[in-house]
Amino acid sequence: MRIIGRRLLLYVLTAWVAISVNFLLPHLMPGNPIQTLIGKLQGQVTPQEIEAIRLSFGGGIDKGLLSQYFTYIDQLFHGNLGVSITLSSPVSTILKASVPWTIGLIGVSTLLSFLIGTVSGALLGWTRGSRLDALIPTATFFQAIPYFFLATVMLLIFGSNLHWFPVLGAYSQNLHPGWTWPFVASAFRYAELPVVSIVLSSVAGWMLGMRNMMITVAAEDFVLMSVAMGLSKRKVIMTAARNAVLPSIANLSLAIGLVVSGALLVELVFNYPGVGDLLLNAVQNEDYPLIQGIFLVITLAVLAANLLADVVYLALDPRTRTETVA
Amino acid sequence: MDETRTKNRILDLRNFSVDYGWGDGAVRAVDNVTMHVDRSTVVGIAGESGSGKSTLIYGFTRLLRAPGVIAGGEALFNLSDASASEGNFINLVTATESEMRRVRWSNISIVLQSALSALNPVLRVRAQFDQVLKTHRPHMSKSQRRDRTIELLALVGLNEDRLRRYPHELSGGQRQRVMIALALTLNPSLVVMDEPTTALDVVTQREIIGKLAELRSQFGFAMIFITHDLSLLVELADEIVVMYAGTVVERAPAQTLYDSPRHPYTLGLLSSFPPMHGARTELTGIPGSPPDLSDMPGGCRFHPRCPYAMERCARETPPLAQVTNESRSVACWLHAGDEDAAVPVELRRVGVERHPPLGAENAEGET
Repeated sequence: MRIIGRRLLLYVLTAWVAISVNFLLPHLMPGNPIQTLIGKLQGQVTPQEIEAIRLSFGGGIDKGLLSQYFTYIDQLFHGNLGVSITLSSPVSTILKASVPWTIGLIGVSTLLSFLIGTVSGALLGWTRGSRLDALIPTATFFQAIPYFFLATVMLLIFGSNLHWFPVLGAYSQNLHPGWTWPFVASAFRYAELPVVSIVLSSVAGWMLGMRNMMITVAAEDFVLMSVAMGLSKRKVIMTAARNAVLPSIANLSLAIGLVVSGALLVELVFNYPGVGDLLLNAVQNEDYPLIQGIFLVITLAVLAANLLADVVYLALDPRTRTETVA
Repeated sequence: MDETRTKNRILDLRNFSVDYGWGDGAVRAVDNVTMHVDRSTVVGIAGESGSGKSTLIYGFTRLLRAPGVIAGGEALFNLSDASASEGNFINLVTATESEMRRVRWSNISIVLQSALSALNPVLRVRAQFDQVLKTHRPHMSKSQRRDRTIELLALVGLNEDRLRRYPHELSGGQRQRVMIALALTLNPSLVVMDEPTTALDVVTQREIIGKLAELRSQFGFAMIFITHDLSLLVELADEIVVMYAGTVVERAPAQTLYDSPRHPYTLGLLSSFPPMHGARTELTGIPGSPPDLSDMPGGCRFHPRCPYAMERCARETPPLAQVTNESRSVACWLHAGDEDAAVPVELRRVGVERHPPLGAENAEGET
């Protein structure tokens, strides 16, 4: 428990550094959101209107960087991430609308891909040299073709032509979003094709990683000993898999952290609402509050995932539990 | 073979061979080995790295990893216990996987060189024992399993507070003790030890050897003890088998072999290690290196390295034959009763005391 406490402290520190960098970043970037906005209005504004816009964004109240920083931190603790320049609504509201979709889609896909890849990788590693090995080039093929191409072709064939899956969006437009059964069912139905495409294009990594670890671990003495002990074949394989899965767990934590950043290509191809698309638009429009808000969520998600991975790793590998004298 | 010898025999290897690879690419790592282990005896197998001693034991225990395959012969193992009136043998070479699983650990257990890599790193000591007991003694309750584990740990001199430890939290000697306790969990009739003390320091080595000798006399299991350290073997083993390039070159009662080796290779091995007691002697070792398994010299396999090689040695392979009037065998033309072969004095000695009694070494002084 002391180890977890120490790690937690480290993460709080990291989060603070990340938040500070996040605050400073827009100040270091060239450009000016007001100029962008005015530019968009293409000269159809009077100088008074420009002044009004400038004031509405807090212009004129020229405070020092340090004081701005403290205001930023203070607002952050109150859940206030500012107002989006382009969408004219609070950043927190915008994030609440898109983050769950991204987490649902990419999160489920990542977990599925990990599970399928790891289990099949373990079996492939154990039975290496058998006919099952043909799965490896098949999986790497799907990872090798560019994702947008794979997704577009799948959408075209299974969505538009065969009508096996609904296309465009995250749920049926006839339904009102809410925790109702038809809506949830519809959301699942719309997520099927994107999930399949993501799993197909990412499963090879998990599979190969696990297979190679499995081959390495299967050559270890303790696996030989579990055979010598007369344990059942299932238990022998589990002994190897239990030790071989550790590096994959570490990779999973990194993958989970990146879930929130979304998958832009997935969202573009399937017209899925999500963080990736949101971030792209925010960057194009120099929508600083939104960019900062998205970065903040991504940063915190990566940190949370890493912390989770640390805890899981501590639980799975006793060798990491050794206390080091501080 | 008479009745008593049969029921007292634990393991009988007959013309046992192991290949690495198949077809034309196969190399023979163990070639036609015939040896046996009697109940409650300790048989030591000695030889250099690559002599096939480990391959031999992984072979008959059916633990060979690909591309190792048993190429021929029989490995008869006695399943009956000491009180049975006659032996009940199973051929381990032809046994099915499920038959093998019943023999494994209940009858034959194994201790490997490095206990750190032989123990599952993610399981506590207690769970390592539980794994075995749950598989072979499914009727045992949780507390019975715990009691048995504590009892076993006590046998090897470990306190029960080790139960909750992970392998990496134990010292090298403690790990090997855990491994030995684990090997005795089901009261096997044969414990195979593959260089169990090689990875340990000399002091711990002595403790482990002493413990093993004590446990053996207490429980009466037979032991196959593999090492390249002949001087260690002589203290523990009843009989020593010396292997070279996949074949048995000499077999004799331990002390006899130590005092009066008959095969030039055995003599070479003995000269490679300092004696445990006694005067300092120059270590001569064996010139050259073990032969390439895929390019075995003709005739006697040792002849290119043998200081006493004769013209015949390159042509004909000497059989492992019993030495006249002695309970020992050697595969060497020097001892084939050939008139022309002048047996060198080092290989002719009978019962020479190689080590003076303890304390005598002080008198030797500096050399």
